[in-house]
Amino acid sequence: MKRQIPLAIVITLGFLFVIHTFVPHKISQDFYDWFQTWIKAISPFAVFLGVMSLFNVHRTKISRRVPNWQYSVITLIGLFFTAFAGFMWGTQEGTPYMWLFTNVQMPMSATMFSLLAFYIASAAYKAFRARSAEATVLLVAAIIVMLGQVSLGAAITKWIPETSRWILNVPNLAAKRAIMIGVGLGMTATSLKILLGIERTYLG
Amino acid sequence: MNKLIQIFQKMQSVDRRYIFIVVALSIIIPLLIPFNSKTYVTEPTESIYRKIDSFANDKSKAVLLSFTHNASTMPELFPMEVAVLRHCFERNIKVFTICWLPDAAPLVDYAINTAKEDYNVQSGIDYCNFGYRPYSLRIPIMLGMGENIAESVETDSQGRKLDNLPIMDNIKNYDDMNLVIDFAGSSSAIQWVMYARAKFGANVAAGITAVMVADNYPYLQTGQLIGMFRGLKGAAEYEKLVDVFASYESPDYPNGRPFSKEIIKETWVPITDDKIPYKYKKARIGMNAQSVAHIMIIVFILLGNIGYFLTRQKKKKIV
Repeated sequence: MKRQIPLAIVITLGFLFVIHTFVPHKISQDFYDWFQTWIKAISPFAVFLGVMSLFNVHRTKISRRVPNWQYSVITLIGLFFTAFAGFMWGTQEGTPYMWLFTNVQMPMSATMFSLLAFYIASAAYKAFRARSAEATVLLVAAIIVMLGQVSLGAAITKWIPETSRWILNVPNLAAKRAIMIGVGLGMTATSLKILLGIERTYLG
Repeated sequence: MNKLIQIFQKMQSVDRRYIFIVVALSIIIPLLIPFNSKTYVTEPTESIYRKIDSFANDKSKAVLLSFTHNASTMPELFPMEVAVLRHCFERNIKVFTICWLPDAAPLVDYAINTAKEDYNVQSGIDYCNFGYRPYSLRIPIMLGMGENIAESVETDSQGRKLDNLPIMDNIKNYDDMNLVIDFAGSSSAIQWVMYARAKFGANVAAGITAVMVADNYPYLQTGQLIGMFRGLKGAAEYEKLVDVFASYESPDYPNGRPFSKEIIKETWVPITDDKIPYKYKKARIGMNAQSVAHIMIIVFILLGNIGYFLTRQKKKKIV
C-alpha cells in the first residue's frame, strides 16, 4: 500500500493534467483552479519539513561530535536567531532582520559567488592550453567573447563585439538548440514512463 | 632564449596565490578609483528600455519585476533592478514587484528603497510589492495572473487586498501588466515565456548573470524574450540609457527626452561626475573592474600558452 497509493495518485493526477492541457473545457478549468488551492495549502508543509530536516541533520552532527560539528552549531544559531528576529520585529527596513540581511547574508553570499573570478583566473592560467585544434578554437572564441563583453573590445575594433555576437548567435545557438531538443525529448520520455508507472524511483 | 624559456617554465609552476593577488588588485583598484570608460548600448538592452518607455505616463499599463535570485548574484543583478525602478519612477510608470525565494524578499525592499529615495512615489499608488510567494506556487500564480492579478496574488507584501489599492485601477491581467522582467542567475525567465507569453501573450524580458547569457540566447533570437540584460554590462547600458534620456532635464524636455539612436551613439556620460549618485552608476564602475579583470585573464591565458609552447619546443629538441 505504501507504494501503490502514491503511485495511483501520481498516475491519476498526471493524466488529469495532461487532459487539462489538451481539453480546454470548463470542467477541466474548474478542476485546475480547485487544485491550485490545494497546492497553496501543501507548500507551507514543505517549508516545515525543510526546517525539521535541517534541524535534525545538524542536531545529529552536534550530538555525535562529527568532524567540524562546530559549524552545525553556527548554522542552528543562525537559523533560530534570524527566524526569531523576523518573527519578533518584522522584516521591514530598519529592523534587526534587515540589518542581518544587509550586513551578514548579502556580503557573505556575494563573497562566495565572487570566488569564481579567482578560480577562473587560476584555471585560465594553469589549464587553458591550445593543446589541439578544438582547444585552440575554444581559446580564441573565449578571448573574443571576453573582449566583446567589455568596452575595451569595441575600442580596439568594432569587429570584436560583432564577432562576439556572431559566436553567441550562430555556433553557440546551434549547440544550445541541439542540447535543448535532446533534453526536451528526454523529459518527454521520462514523463511518459512516470505516467505509465514504469519509472518508480521517485517512490524511494 | 634559454633564459626566457627558464622564466616561462618558472611561471608555469607559479603559486596560484600570486594569481589570486593580481586578480584581487585588478578588481579592487578600479572599484576604489573609478575612471571614465565608454559604455556601448546593445540591442537587447535598448529593446527593454524602449518597451518600458512606451508605457510612460500611461496609467493603464504596468511593468512586473520578478526577483528569482538571492544575495549571491546581487552585484550583477541589483544595479539592473535599481536602474529599471528608477526609469519607471522617472517616467511615471506603474511598477509591480514579486519574489520567489525567501531571501529575495529583503532584496526587493532594498531595491525599491534605493530607487524611491529621489522620487515622490507611494506604495500602492505608484508601485506595489507583491512580496514573497513560494517557488512551488510560481506556475499557478503565473497562469492565474493571466486571468486576474488581484485574484491570483490577492494581497501585497503588507497584507493589503490588491482590489483596494489605487495602483490596480485599469490593471487586470497581462494585457495591462504587459511586460515581465525576470531577474535571475538561472534560466528561470523561460518559465515566463512558456506560461505567461505562450498562453497570454505577455512580453517577457530577462535580467541575468553573464554566465547564463548563452543559455538564454535561443529565446532572445526567436523574439520570445523581447530583450535581455546580459550581466553587469546590461546593467551598465541601462544606467546610461536612463541618464541620457529618462532623467535628462532641460527646458525643452522637462520630463526626460525620447529615445534616439543618434543621441545614444554620440553621448558620453562621465562616471567620475559627482552629479550622478553612486547608486546610479554602480554597474558602470563595476564594468571598469570587469574590464580590467577580463584583460588580466586574457593575459594569463596568453602567458600560460606561451610558456606551454616554449616548454614543448624545448622537450622536442631534447628528444
